[in-house]
Amino acid sequence: MAGDTSPINASKRTSATSSLRHSQTTRPASPHTPQQQIRSGSTSFASNTSPSSSFRSEDDAIIFEIGARWLRAGFEGNSTPACVVGFGPEDSRRAGDYRGWIQGSAGAARLPQPIAAEEWAQSHELWRLDSREVDLGLVEDKIERAVRETYNQFLLTDAGTTRLVLVLPSLMPHPLLSSLLSTLFSRWRFSSVTLLSSATMSATAAGLRSALVVDLGWAETTATAIYEYREISTKKTTRAMKHLMQETGRLLTGLASNTEDNAGTADEISVGLAYCEEIASRFSWCKSKNYEESSNKFNQTLAIPSPANPEQEYMDVPFLRFAEPTEKVLLASGIPEHEMDDEERSLPLLVYNTLLSLPPDARGTCMARIVFVGGGSRIPGLRQRVLDEVSSMIDRHGWSPIRGKALERQRERLEQLKLSSQRASSQPEVPKGNGEAASPDTPLPDPPEIDFVEQKLRRQNRDTPVPVQGVLREIESLGPWAGASLTTTLKIRGMVEIEREKFLQHGLAGATRDIDHPVPDRRSGLRSGGDRSSWTLAGWA
Amino acid sequence: MSRPFPYTFISCPCADTPVPDPARKRRSRESPQKQSPQKPAPRPSTSEGEKKGLAAGQQEDEDDEQTFDPRSPRSDFSLYPPEQLLYCEECHQIKCSRCITEEIVSWYCPSCLFETPSSMVRSDGNRCGRNCFNCPVCTAPLAVSTIENATGNGTQQGPWVLSCGYCLWTTLDIGIKFDKPTNIRSQLQKMTDATPPAAFDRSRQASRTLESLKHPLSSAASVEEHARDRDVDQPTPKEDPAAPPMSTDARFAALKNFYRAQIAETSNSPNDHLSSDFGFSSPGALNRLMSLYTSSSRLGGLYGGSKKAKSKPPVMREALTASEGLCIAPKNGEADIIARLASPECGWEGVASLEQRAAQSPDARFVEDLLPLPVLLRTKRAKRCKSCKHILVKPETKPQSTRFRIRLIALSYIPLPTLCPLAFSSSSSLPTMAPTPDLDSLVPLRPIHVLLTLKNHMFDPVRITLATPPVTPGRVATKVTVLSPQFEIGANSDVWDEALQGASAPLSSDSKSAGLGQRGVPEAGKVWDKGRNWTTVVLEVVPGTLPGSSAEGGDGNPETTDEDVVAVAASKKDEDVLEIPVFVHMDWDADAQLDQQNLGKSSRADDKVTRELAYWMVLGVGRIQASL
Repeated sequence: MAGDTSPINASKRTSATSSLRHSQTTRPASPHTPQQQIRSGSTSFASNTSPSSSFRSEDDAIIFEIGARWLRAGFEGNSTPACVVGFGPEDSRRAGDYRGWIQGSAGAARLPQPIAAEEWAQSHELWRLDSREVDLGLVEDKIERAVRETYNQFLLTDAGTTRLVLVLPSLMPHPLLSSLLSTLFSRWRFSSVTLLSSATMSATAAGLRSALVVDLGWAETTATAIYEYREISTKKTTRAMKHLMQETGRLLTGLASNTEDNAGTADEISVGLAYCEEIASRFSWCKSKNYEESSNKFNQTLAIPSPANPEQEYMDVPFLRFAEPTEKVLLASGIPEHEMDDEERSLPLLVYNTLLSLPPDARGTCMARIVFVGGGSRIPGLRQRVLDEVSSMIDRHGWSPIRGKALERQRERLEQLKLSSQRASSQPEVPKGNGEAASPDTPLPDPPEIDFVEQKLRRQNRDTPVPVQGVLREIESLGPWAGASLTTTLKIRGMVEIEREKFLQHGLAGATRDIDHPVPDRRSGLRSGGDRSSWTLAGWA
Repeated sequence: MSRPFPYTFISCPCADTPVPDPARKRRSRESPQKQSPQKPAPRPSTSEGEKKGLAAGQQEDEDDEQTFDPRSPRSDFSLYPPEQLLYCEECHQIKCSRCITEEIVSWYCPSCLFETPSSMVRSDGNRCGRNCFNCPVCTAPLAVSTIENATGNGTQQGPWVLSCGYCLWTTLDIGIKFDKPTNIRSQLQKMTDATPPAAFDRSRQASRTLESLKHPLSSAASVEEHARDRDVDQPTPKEDPAAPPMSTDARFAALKNFYRAQIAETSNSPNDHLSSDFGFSSPGALNRLMSLYTSSSRLGGLYGGSKKAKSKPPVMREALTASEGLCIAPKNGEADIIARLASPECGWEGVASLEQRAAQSPDARFVEDLLPLPVLLRTKRAKRCKSCKHILVKPETKPQSTRFRIRLIALSYIPLPTLCPLAFSSSSSLPTMAPTPDLDSLVPLRPIHVLLTLKNHMFDPVRITLATPPVTPGRVATKVTVLSPQFEIGANSDVWDEALQGASAPLSSDSKSAGLGQRGVPEAGKVWDKGRNWTTVVLEVVPGTLPGSSAEGGDGNPETTDEDVVAVAASKKDEDVLEIPVFVHMDWDADAQLDQQNLGKSSRADDKVTRELAYWMVLGVGRIQASL
């Protein structure tokens, strides 16, 4: 996961190789060795003469963010994408098939027959991450049409003339990535495609260098810890929007069958997905942590289009019920931790576990920079709730993976012995204290030890502000698309830049597996000693 | 059912050539059994075709036999109504929107039909820069109207609003009034960007202080002073919490400025001022220029002038304040959103739908957050063949004109297929009175006859061969027989030619006599009817039974009524719709030089070239009903 780094920080990194391979603008990391001075001299010359991308990029690059449900596209330098295009059944109709306009879009009305929840969601996705179940040809067709329509309707430029930047999740199955790229390259004349990882871009769009990016996506929620623009750890859970939608569908199916007395089986949904998504996107919410069931706070009812007949009737539903799917799917309340599989941890657990897996320094930095992106982050109250849950988890367990009764007993005993040390370890202000909870018997000196090195460092760079560390804090991000737009505007090149000819020769197999392989630096055409024919997939390899 | 029955679709042959995956190619090159990948083999239609690896070789062999399945999800992407297809005269191939490239000729607003110059398109955000707006609630066009309509007729006074004639939404609902009835777009822009300028100023100021802070010529004292200032500032980086959150645009701009400044600061090495992508206008430019003279000189190092700068490259930091684009999520900031959602005055209508939100700012949640949308521009595009770059379509530039300079539509080259059911009682003397089968409810297992007419638009006679699978693919097995699969269609000669030649034209006399004589029973091997440039053949169709219906004879499950069966079938990608894949192969003798067909060069057969074209066509006959 460490591979994908955006080169903003290239100039400051001390390692020479890393800065070489990142900085397209070739700012030497340490400009004081004569060798590098020569080199950058030739670089500036080369940049003036090289006919390749530097002139081409005068045109604004086009940025695509492709997920399982939506395609966002727009120009670099804009804060929001120009359009968001779906991959639903409406978008896969035959040319000349206008039924969507005549009878209303598919999925808005009630389904004639309840169908299984999995199948219900499938027709709306572009791909699923299990590429065994994916018809790649269909994916190619869908991508081709979506991109073409996007260019013709929204971007209004000639397709393929400018550079293309793709924002993708950092874990992509290779068959999908390959068909995506070969569709783009063979259909249009893109000179190069740059891949950017969505998690890093989300952090960039929040103005951060390190962050814990929680992406509440369609198929899965990923928590990615980013430290100095490097992805250092990723954990994921299937508790994401698809399950939320299915749960909302079941809820609405239940509501429909109450009135109609047509009980379907448990896992079947009889309302259309578009209708269901409409409801979920409008009224899904999340209770706060200290919400009392007894208080009649949100007991009022709400009139929504009736699930039995959405076109004509309305139906009163208590507002509280719209919090049920969120509660059940994303927070898994009521399910003890040990009953959940590794792939279906609740969101608070996911965040906690990801933080726990980090080295203490990175953890302290990341926990103060939690960024929520993805469709689910729009659910009001959810983000605060997750943070509250995580914070209570930290209070309860500290930073320790050890649970169990024996530990509790030991802890009680120790607490009797030494109250003060226990308190110190459970305070979240001590992010480095993950050792304490595991072995709490090492007594801490009451006034924290004065770290001379630390103090000296502080004194030295007094003007650089002390970064916030060790408190749970949420930072809002503009989203991966905006991050990529920022990065591209600043003329920062991604590490993965796939050129047309090279891809068409060998496909993905042409990428070097060598993680440390220097990216061919096209601006330094004269100098480049390394073999320029190779390129890397970095994090996607 | 994609259109009213009966309908025809044509599958573009480009669907047969899969997207070349270079990796796959490489793999197959390594594998011992080598296949010629150039040969267009019908693409495997279902997922089973996607298993890569060793099986690829054998699969290609099988694919040649495979019939086109109109039900496969992929075929929806390759089927087009015949009138939407183009034809490339160089490649002699049908071209669909997937196998052409497009070039934009002009941009225009569909609402006011003004052409937008290409330089303005991007700056206007691909939307109309005039007064054309769409209603954010119902997408109807908005009209500029004044609030006081009743005042004097001549001089209408402002303030002005945009109002929707359909849903009666006005900009007053979101509290926006305009001073002038012109240039609404820029007025609106000013209003919605009311907050950002302040933020801009602040961020610029901040970056300027940073700049002076890092300035190598600034005295040490001032640096200290600044540092102290910053230290004082530091405890209150959140600025005033009461300030409204920045809009997306403002935050983006702030972040951009911040990163710009950071990159400029941290890259103050003296060497890269030329290669840097930032011009001299950037805030760090002067800085870098100055450091040319200070830090790179060895003397400077001796006298300790820039010792600090040399010892440690400056570190790029993260955004710290709101003016730099940092936005710390407010505590309990969403409680009021929840309360508002739950409040009775909001309700279903108060929250913006997915569709309404699609083109709005990502923060928009309620209907009050929606802004009027400037009309999206449209383009006129020239189309070229993807493989040979031959121009297929070239429209006139002016938006008002609907004419085309070049337009090579496929129907001038391939026969236009039309379908109609044959009346039941063929003996009736009044064909118009004869009952035709109801195509929306075809009775399973009862044979019907369908007339397929192919009309030739070329100036050469065409020989056609039709082929259908005996049984349609899918779960509903319908038997199809083309009664006369091989026939010829006459040339689309001048009507006057035919009339002048009189009875000597064999085709016309044939058609008259044959038409009269054959209007009886459809016979195998005989063309049903024939005209100057068209030929009609008969397809015999025996609709299959829907799985699980009573017609299937199963009746094992008495609970599922036929209505259910139909509903299930309709939901499963229109399983009850009878669509027949027909493979059309046509060949004709064309003139070698294309442009002189009209001159009647039928005498010299030497310069004729035989051309052929083959494609799949889908005939939508009707919907099968469940019961017999």
